[in-house]
Amino acid sequence: MKLHRIWGVILRYNYLFKHSLDRQVDAFYWPTVDLVLWGLTSSYLAEKAANIPFAVLMVISGLVLWIILWRGQYEFTVNILEDMWNKNLVNMFSSPLKLSEWIAAFVLLGIVKSAVSVSFAAGVAFVLYKANLFAFGFKLLPFLFLLLMTGWWVGLFVGGLIVRFGGKVQNFAWSMVFLIAPFSAIYYPLAALPVWAQKVAMFIPSSYLFEGARQVILTGVVNGKMLLIALILNLIFTIFALLFFRASFKKVLDRGLVKLY
Amino acid sequence: MEILKAKNLSKQFGKFKAVDNVSLSLQEGEILGLLGPNGAGKTTTIQMLLGVLTPSKGEVFYFGKNLKNHREEILEEVNFSSTYTNLPWDLTVWENLHFISYLYQIENRKKRVEEMLELFKLKELQKHPIKELSAGQVTRLNVAKAFINFPKVLLLDEPTASLDPDVAGYIREFILEERKKFKVSIVFTSHNMAEVEELCDRVIFINRGKIVADDTPENLAKTIEVCHIELLVKQKEKLISYCKNNQLNFRQEGKHIIVDVKEKLIAEFLRNLTANAIEYDEISIEKPTLEDYFIQNAPKL
Repeated sequence: MKLHRIWGVILRYNYLFKHSLDRQVDAFYWPTVDLVLWGLTSSYLAEKAANIPFAVLMVISGLVLWIILWRGQYEFTVNILEDMWNKNLVNMFSSPLKLSEWIAAFVLLGIVKSAVSVSFAAGVAFVLYKANLFAFGFKLLPFLFLLLMTGWWVGLFVGGLIVRFGGKVQNFAWSMVFLIAPFSAIYYPLAALPVWAQKVAMFIPSSYLFEGARQVILTGVVNGKMLLIALILNLIFTIFALLFFRASFKKVLDRGLVKLY
Repeated sequence: MEILKAKNLSKQFGKFKAVDNVSLSLQEGEILGLLGPNGAGKTTTIQMLLGVLTPSKGEVFYFGKNLKNHREEILEEVNFSSTYTNLPWDLTVWENLHFISYLYQIENRKKRVEEMLELFKLKELQKHPIKELSAGQVTRLNVAKAFINFPKVLLLDEPTASLDPDVAGYIREFILEERKKFKVSIVFTSHNMAEVEELCDRVIFINRGKIVADDTPENLAKTIEVCHIELLVKQKEKLISYCKNNQLNFRQEGKHIIVDVKEKLIAEFLRNLTANAIEYDEISIEKPTLEDYFIQNAPKL
């Protein structure tokens, strides 16, 4: 891997971010709207049902943590789409750029932009609801990292679908990640899910991560077992997603990169 | 020295064979024209040479090394420009060249980007997103991008399409200059036959995915026996009637009539004009060109 080529790809997407109102809206506007909407809803519910402790904090923290996962996958899927729409993939892959360097650039962009988006959202949550997620400090960090990792394999998988099927499945870039949302128990405890959904959630790493993060926020205790299971599941899914992405790219080279749109 | 070699390249899309057993080679400093009608397989061939399309059969070698196994090393020395791809349209001219420069091993990238902006007269446009540029300006940017990494091999797919004649001429001069200075080897496609004749040392004619001719532009033109005789005559109808009676191809262009006559029959044709009392005020004889070869061969091949 050559760092200058990874940097070249990062530059390309950063220049896009600078010029694209769509991408800026995705990064700041929607998270703010979600926080206002769900924060106010949960404030109201907390007033009416005082027996739900920390209701606002649970919803707000769920929202902020979801941004990490969502952002991790978004950097793969939407940036791939942008290059597909721009017919720029031939420029990229007629250069010495390697597939692994392209992926590395998405991973790095995911880390940086998640950090920016989450800091922004956490700041908004503090200003609006006095919900201080920074107070949990390093205890939340492993959960944040593993959520980002979940975003990467979702992004690789959806990116693979886009590379394989082109514009026909472009809506997956925004929507597919929400398939795992109900099973991730973002706003509610896992026990609140029906039994069949709990069984599905056992295979979704983010379910352990949201549950574990909630535990940290409510009790201050880090559940190492949940972290370990989430890590193992993430590693397995990442390997499969990488293989799928590589196979999809090979497939599109059979048709020709020029024909991907 | 053989810089590029394609061995038995074929590409099949379902039942359609886009490229059929094409073998070609490119010498150091050579400019090779790839000609053929639309859909002949030129762009498919170029894509396989670039590694952005996997051949169904065959191999590509640069500098004696297989592209499949030495992709990274080879593509460091290769670049391309095509009308079939775009650079990101939201990015400015400068940003596009800047990010592309990072995909290659280039010393002092900023300086190289500035050089390209100067050389291709893009300096004043550097802060404009390319979606605001004219087609000709975008083509210039594409060619600038193709030269950014000091390539040893260039694949230029219609690089002067949509350019004004003066800019196209400038690009042609630039290409010839770079070839002279750095011995750049170039594969070139164009629909402008005069341009191909001016630039290319050798031409490969492709049709329906197959190579049907491989020779110098002069030799290909020589295979056409017919010359064009342009005449300004007083009695137009008389000449037209003579051509019709003798089954000679002709066309009218303004006041002139252009008659196609085999080179060895020109003297006889002129004698017959005199014998038939057809007087002309002006005459010019045009030798066959590559365009004649293209027109004669493309439709029926």
